[in-house]
Amino acid sequence: MGQIDWSVLSGPYVSRRTLLQLAVATGIAGYASQLSGANARPRYLTARQEPQQGGTLRFGIGVSDIPTLDPAQETTGIIAGELLANIFSGLVQFDEQLGIIPDLAETWEVAEDGLRYTFHLRPGLTFHNGDSLTAEDVIYTYERTIDPEFASPHANKLQQVKEITAPDELTLVITQNVPFAPFLATACSRGPGRALNPIPRRAIEELGNDGFGRSPVGCGPFQVVPESVELATGFEMVAFEAWYGGRPPLDAIEVSVIPEISSRLSAIEAGDIDMLDIVPAIGVDRLAQLDQFTIVEAPGTNWWGLRMNLARPPWDQLEARMAVAKAIDRQDFNERAFLGKVVECIGPIAPAFGWAYQDPETIESPQAYDLDEARRLAELAGIAGEQPRILLQTDDPRPAENLRNQLSEIGLEVELDLVNTTAYFERWDAGDYDMNITGSVVDADPDDNVWNYFSSEGPWNTHGYANPEMDALLEQERRTSDQEERAAIFQQIQAVAQSDVPFAFLYHEPDRTVFTNRVQGYVPIPEQRYLETIWIES
Amino acid sequence: MTQYIIRRLVHSVLIVWGCATLVFFLIRAIPGDPVIQMLGPEYTPEAADALRERLGLDESVFTQYFRWMGNLLQGDLGSSITGAETVNSAILSGLPKTMSIALMAFLIATAIAIPTGVLAALKRNSFADFVVSFVAFLGVSMPSFWFGIILILIFAVQLGWLPSLGYASIAEEGFVEWIKHLILPSLAIGAGYAAILMRFVRAGLLEAMSSDYIRTARSKGMTEKRVVIAHGLRNSLIPVVTIAGIQVALLLSGTVVIETVFSIRGIGRLLVGAIFDQDYPMVQGAILVVAVIFVFANLFVDILYTLLDPRIKYG
Repeated sequence: MGQIDWSVLSGPYVSRRTLLQLAVATGIAGYASQLSGANARPRYLTARQEPQQGGTLRFGIGVSDIPTLDPAQETTGIIAGELLANIFSGLVQFDEQLGIIPDLAETWEVAEDGLRYTFHLRPGLTFHNGDSLTAEDVIYTYERTIDPEFASPHANKLQQVKEITAPDELTLVITQNVPFAPFLATACSRGPGRALNPIPRRAIEELGNDGFGRSPVGCGPFQVVPESVELATGFEMVAFEAWYGGRPPLDAIEVSVIPEISSRLSAIEAGDIDMLDIVPAIGVDRLAQLDQFTIVEAPGTNWWGLRMNLARPPWDQLEARMAVAKAIDRQDFNERAFLGKVVECIGPIAPAFGWAYQDPETIESPQAYDLDEARRLAELAGIAGEQPRILLQTDDPRPAENLRNQLSEIGLEVELDLVNTTAYFERWDAGDYDMNITGSVVDADPDDNVWNYFSSEGPWNTHGYANPEMDALLEQERRTSDQEERAAIFQQIQAVAQSDVPFAFLYHEPDRTVFTNRVQGYVPIPEQRYLETIWIES
Repeated sequence: MTQYIIRRLVHSVLIVWGCATLVFFLIRAIPGDPVIQMLGPEYTPEAADALRERLGLDESVFTQYFRWMGNLLQGDLGSSITGAETVNSAILSGLPKTMSIALMAFLIATAIAIPTGVLAALKRNSFADFVVSFVAFLGVSMPSFWFGIILILIFAVQLGWLPSLGYASIAEEGFVEWIKHLILPSLAIGAGYAAILMRFVRAGLLEAMSSDYIRTARSKGMTEKRVVIAHGLRNSLIPVVTIAGIQVALLLSGTVVIETVFSIRGIGRLLVGAIFDQDYPMVQGAILVVAVIFVFANLFVDILYTLLDPRIKYG
């Protein structure tokens, strides 16, 4: 630990320099290809002219409901990354490669021991209500989030914080109990870092917590029009004149909640919205054929897999789990369940984290499809005739149906347990399932990809997986600052997860958004929608 | 008559109360804990306890029930436990949408059902009767969500005449926008409703037209038009009105699906979302409203009988 220099996490910029070195030095294929993609400046960026001021973006979001617009209470990652990221700012934010760049903090230093973060805020920041934003507001936000009475679901992101102080109005010092490498991405960022998105005290005092959730006051590039808010239907945001980055080109954004998949597609085709946040797999080919739309694709930060409950025989046997993993033809699965629109997944490190991701072509995964070997293992484990039940909550049972068919090849008679959301979470939490299709989405750091499911103490590890080697690697990853070293540890973690098979890894979903050609200037940040660069061609 | 209405009103209140009570206890019997869902899988037991206490879910079911009833009598339906909305505001914003769709669907349905039903009855066993009955059969068989999607594809995506989603408030965006946003969802629900009504109009009129009083009317030398409208149709409407009242439930349940297809957040979608989230106060509030609508629609139907048939007297 002695020679680790945590100050490499200091910024106005964290990772591109390290990433470039890494790509050149190691030639990691996934990252290098992404980098060249970014350098090639795709069409929607080269076509960029001088942004035109004015216009309204009609933005469709594919969720069934918006429970609240209070970042500290919002549990849906999509709502945080697509809506809250435009209303609230973080101390830092992401660039296109998920590198960390300044937001409210112009620069920051991380002490060599990795325990002390000193942020220097921009001068003259204000909230939408005109109140000035200083380091004291971040402290207030911290105290609000960790208040047990307030019961924020994001309080756990701050549990290693020992102390937070403001030596002066523009300086914020956060001291940690232990070094925690993902801290900037998971707790301080615009979008995912909901635990510390600054909140003005006066607005909470005036509106109360529920009132704030309906008409939030942030400091991001767009401000909510309170009288337009009908949480389950949508709301309007207007450009914030006093935003530190300058007034955004758009006058307004009209957000429409569209719960039904087919309605999302018809809304954009009928011209009732200008931008649809995520293109469902069934709509990709159709919209790509039509000239009036542009689909922009970024690598996903997510992964999905079939988990097996190690606490329930026969899934405690490695051979049984490996038989399942090797019986799944990922290509067939992709074609039948997702019309070929997802990416094969060999492990939990997502493609968006180019610096740690491994291209499936370059890796021989022990879980690779091999039906003969799967049958041999199944016989060895004696699982023929077993009737495992897959716990599901999704309204699209196709992935599970496909797995059921494929697993019948090794003699399993899979049944599907489709339950409502509350029952799903309760059983999820109690470990009451044989198998479960699940994964991790809208992740800010590869730590989010792995810790929750693979640490023996992980909050999502309800499948009874524990391996001291894995725990040690996870601990090491959190305590390592150098990105190159961290990447190597993540790859070891991935290898252990592949051979221990708590999950049969299935797919990564690319992040696709679509807009009409009038919409210009969109900069894709994986699984976030930063809308301040967008303008409408008249 | 006044006495009858008062008695029915008292009955109605009792029915609504019974319904609300039943729902209050049933929704709590569904497996699953809303608190865990709200906090997400990373929740800590302390956070869950704190939230339960804040929401009053740590108290006994009966304490919760009496508190809810107490607040209800003061017109306060409580706050959503999974979101930042109050139940009152969610219902106030959802009710005009659902009522607009239901009312428009009802108008569309009767406008289709009565003329076609009369035509089918008068031209019994003709080609026109066959066509009308066949279309009605299609109307009954077509799931409204499917028909809704087809309507969107034709009138919004292909022709671009009408919007594919949302609701426009008559106060804010004017009558034309209001109607434009209502036509497709109302038609999607109204089609099935029209088909059912039409079959009752046809059957009722056929029966009425073979009655003695029709023969008497004809023998008095009345014109056939007057015979059909004043005697035949009016007498055949009693069963139609009964069915129309009962089928208000069909209209309301139709909005549940159609509001999702058209991304309109009325009472139907509110209710379904709340059930999935186990948002107890929201489910209780929405069911209460649906029960009130249903009970009063049927009270209205009973009063309508006396207007249609003076022989029916209450007292």
